[in-house]
Amino acid sequence: MTSYVKLAAKNILRHRTRSLLTMLGIAASVGVLFAVLSFNKGFTEGLAVELERTGLHFMIVPSGCAHEVAALVLHGAVIPKFLDTGVMEHVEQTAGIDLATPILVAQLPDQQRGKIDLIYGIEMNVLEAIKPGWEITGTIPRHEHEVLLGYEVAQHDNLKPGDHFSSPAEGVDLVVSGIVGYSGSQDDAFVYLPIQSAQNLLGYPQSATAIGVKVDDPTRIGAITESLTSSVPGIQIVTMGEVMNSVSNLAAAARALSLAIVLIAILISAVGVMNSILMAVFERTQEIGMMRAVGASRWDIFRIILSETTILALVGGVVGIVLSTLGARLIETFVRSVMPFVPSGDLIRFEPIVALGSVAFIFVIGLCAGIYPAVKASKINPVEAIKG
Amino acid sequence: MIELKNIEKTYRRGVENVRALRGVNLTIDAGELMAIVGPSGAGKTTLLHILGCLDQPTNGDVVFDGVNTASMPESQLVKIRREKIGFVFQQFYLIPGLSVFDNIALPLLFSKKPAQRKKIEQLAEMVGLEHRLNHAPAQLSGGEMQRTAIARGLVNDPAILLADEPTGNLDTENSEKIFAILRRLSDEGLTTIMITHNPELAARAERTVKIRDGLICP
Repeated sequence: MTSYVKLAAKNILRHRTRSLLTMLGIAASVGVLFAVLSFNKGFTEGLAVELERTGLHFMIVPSGCAHEVAALVLHGAVIPKFLDTGVMEHVEQTAGIDLATPILVAQLPDQQRGKIDLIYGIEMNVLEAIKPGWEITGTIPRHEHEVLLGYEVAQHDNLKPGDHFSSPAEGVDLVVSGIVGYSGSQDDAFVYLPIQSAQNLLGYPQSATAIGVKVDDPTRIGAITESLTSSVPGIQIVTMGEVMNSVSNLAAAARALSLAIVLIAILISAVGVMNSILMAVFERTQEIGMMRAVGASRWDIFRIILSETTILALVGGVVGIVLSTLGARLIETFVRSVMPFVPSGDLIRFEPIVALGSVAFIFVIGLCAGIYPAVKASKINPVEAIKG
Repeated sequence: MIELKNIEKTYRRGVENVRALRGVNLTIDAGELMAIVGPSGAGKTTLLHILGCLDQPTNGDVVFDGVNTASMPESQLVKIRREKIGFVFQQFYLIPGLSVFDNIALPLLFSKKPAQRKKIEQLAEMVGLEHRLNHAPAQLSGGEMQRTAIARGLVNDPAILLADEPTGNLDTENSEKIFAILRRLSDEGLTTIMITHNPELAARAERTVKIRDGLICP
């Protein structure tokens, strides 16, 4: 049984190499479109999870750039400014504060082990309070020279509770008290120390990179931050929502650029489709003349040619999405290697809505690309075509 | 059945106007087997295209079953081609990607009729291709290709079959087979008009019409 779609599919298969190359062009551009759209969704969701895992509502930092705070919160950036922990007094006196903790985050290069440790100094009782979901093998540090290791750090150095943790600071002997279970987040990369140990180890006594604050009632964050800003000079308060916006904005700018490039790639592949089908129309002029003679109307010819372009576009689109999904880990590895911060977890997830949207988009593009060749084919004069 | 009255056809070729037909008058009766002969460029194919509602005359009337098709819009001509006319070409024009079965069934796609397997099989049997239905055109001989084209021309049960040099690309044996099929169709009541350069075949038609310089020779 012949149908327009079958006829169109058979026509496409007559020039396998040409059709395959055209289809691959579409697959590549749709695959990248799908990856960019999915990446954005994965990135935003991953970021939200990451921020929620900090267990804090806002950070008090020295006045400066909000992006620095975002970097601090998310991957322990070195900020060359410190708060005096004396600020804590004001913070603790403010109404509505559930807990406040100084946090000292710094990178500590260890040339012997050829890596950089991310030191995270915090009050250990606070750590327990803000990370209730952690599964710890061993215990939380109870003494000055004990450390709690993130999962990745322990894995990397093959350490277990009771082992000595090689410290880059001379004369300081640290013992592993516990290891945090795998979280898939940035938590896995830190070395947790009591705040005072961190201050001593890093040589910044009475200093903190930030003061992390958790409030009693999250709906009152606005009023509390306003009160703190007016009463304590030289500080800046950045809520997790602002951190999220700050990072999301940077990611959105990159996404906009990527999308623009993807759209150009799609346009080029659409021109490729148009060119491929146009060549096929010219090659099949006599055949089209025959079809007109045996009863095909101009509309019939238009539909056959349009079916060919849409089949190419649809198959290319689906192949692109499948390849993009299969290659998601590769793309993620690449993205992680070039971006300063990427949330943990799967960045590119198969989202049916995004996949359907991408296929629908390329379907429309395929239709548009097919209109010119289809009109051209439908206007072929059968008498002249048959004469050759 | 078909009456051509003073048909003229002029078309443009480069900078010149070519008068392909210069006043053709012809009456074709139902069931007739007619051969149209004449030298190249005489206007045979133009006449066949006008008979088949594929082209329209510059002047004159084409009366098909009492209806003048000479100035009909394309949408109505398509309908007539689908319902009443079958075409066979010298070059066969089979679609390479489709099987013999699908090539025969192709016109049904345009007339929006379902492809009834039994009917296609009967047509294939009639032209001696019942064993070739699933083959691709590339697996057929020239004679088989033309027989497939004849079956395709018959699938819509036309009132008239127009064949433009159907044996032009075939050897004597296959030409004979094709002519035998056309003869049989005519005997069964199908009006069959064939352009040919083969004088032997033309002589065996019921009527031979000679065309020269766009006019029917007496």
